[in-house]
Amino acid sequence: MRYFAAAAEVAGREEETFAVDSATVGALQDDLVARYGSGMTRVLRNGSFLVDGVVVRDRARPLGRQVDVLPPFAGG
Amino acid sequence: MPAAPDPARFARQLVLPGLGLDGQGRIAAARVLVLGAGGLGSAVLPVLASGGVGTLGIVDDDVVELSNLHRQTLHTAADVGRRKVDSTAERLTPLATGTLRLHAVRFTKENARDIAADYDLVVDGSDNFETRYLANDTAVAAGIPLVWGAVSQFGGHVGAVIPGAGPDYRDLFPVQPDPSSVLSCAEGGVLPSVCGVIGSLMATEVLKILTGLGRPLSGRVTSYDGLSGRFREVEFRADTDAAERDAVEAVAGDAAPASVATSAPAAVPASAPAPPSASASTSASASASEEEPVTAQPDAGQPDEITARELDDLLTDGAPVQLVDVREPWEAEIASLPGSKLLPLGTLADRVDELDPATTVVVYCHHGARSDRARNLLRSAGLPVSHLQGGIDAWSRTVDPSLPRY
Repeated sequence: MRYFAAAAEVAGREEETFAVDSATVGALQDDLVARYGSGMTRVLRNGSFLVDGVVVRDRARPLGRQVDVLPPFAGG
Repeated sequence: MPAAPDPARFARQLVLPGLGLDGQGRIAAARVLVLGAGGLGSAVLPVLASGGVGTLGIVDDDVVELSNLHRQTLHTAADVGRRKVDSTAERLTPLATGTLRLHAVRFTKENARDIAADYDLVVDGSDNFETRYLANDTAVAAGIPLVWGAVSQFGGHVGAVIPGAGPDYRDLFPVQPDPSSVLSCAEGGVLPSVCGVIGSLMATEVLKILTGLGRPLSGRVTSYDGLSGRFREVEFRADTDAAERDAVEAVAGDAAPASVATSAPAAVPASAPAPPSASASTSASASASEEEPVTAQPDAGQPDEITARELDDLLTDGAPVQLVDVREPWEAEIASLPGSKLLPLGTLADRVDELDPATTVVVYCHHGARSDRARNLLRSAGLPVSHLQGGIDAWSRTVDPSLPRY
């Protein structure tokens, strides 16, 4: 897992490695919310969830080796 | 248009390996549209102006506010209440060697296409998602590169979109967020230096794309965290299912890429703006684009397009074929077909005479959009030519999986 911006703030770290029981995107997202609370729910609502470099929105999709959580910014 | 600037003014960038008079000529011929004269604009615009960009367009409908001044260094306390485009023009005029064009309007669905039609590249330094998605969609539809950057609090990120050669902003952020759910600079604040960091990275991407130097941040996002002082990179690509669907559509509809090219004749990424000395080639490629719908009828004996498998058979049989790669040098470095000649699309009109008019030509690019245009250009020059359906990506998927995809 790599966390960016608000995702890193909520997780309190920039990256970590862990094994998951169920290898779907939905299961991992539930696991992240369980670990890091409602802040992570907010991050996941708008942030992109990239599995091996592809943005995935379907919770049923299988996981890969690397997941990036990248929130969008609007500020200029 | 002012007189050509003294080359001595650009001596320290002319001497850079790979830039030279040719690169400076491309910068001087380029027309760059910058959305937003705010924090990012304050970092991007002075560099592009002093670096020699020929035409610099500035879109902003805001007036200067006191709370802008800590990071928007184009404006001063005396400018509060004035239109941002006016204070920007005052600040940039002494720096610029090219022309400034002011668009004191909001960039909207209604005017975006018309405004962008006069430019070769779009820089998005806006402050809201609506403009960000519109900037992406407008650049992609016009087939011109986009450099985007955004900041929030202590960090920011930056990327580039090269239409036809990589994913776009929607591949990274598919859904436009509800503005109330994401912190704005007004709500969350922003460290002024972060605008400088991200804006400078954006200007660097612009100069790279204009001159063809290096490898643009296409399919990659550079993320900066000011608190840790660390840069990290996220590589991304379009969803494969979606990409394959797009490839099929591009192959099915010859008309689609042609109409995009017609609406934006100067829409060749990377090497589009030709040096002033080569203005004839710009008009040559523009007229070729306009002729595209007419050239839909195939030449006798030479099919419009060829599949990767058919090309493989042809090469295996030892048939005489001139294989021409119309992508940019950085793409050829990642993967190319053996024995091919690199003639980037922007240079093709000038270099037609490097090809033998008596031998079959097969042109290819990344996904087939640029080679489709190259095929039309070469055909109007009288060459027997086909283009590779689905580009080198189709080759990697169906003929040689060991060839890297990007």
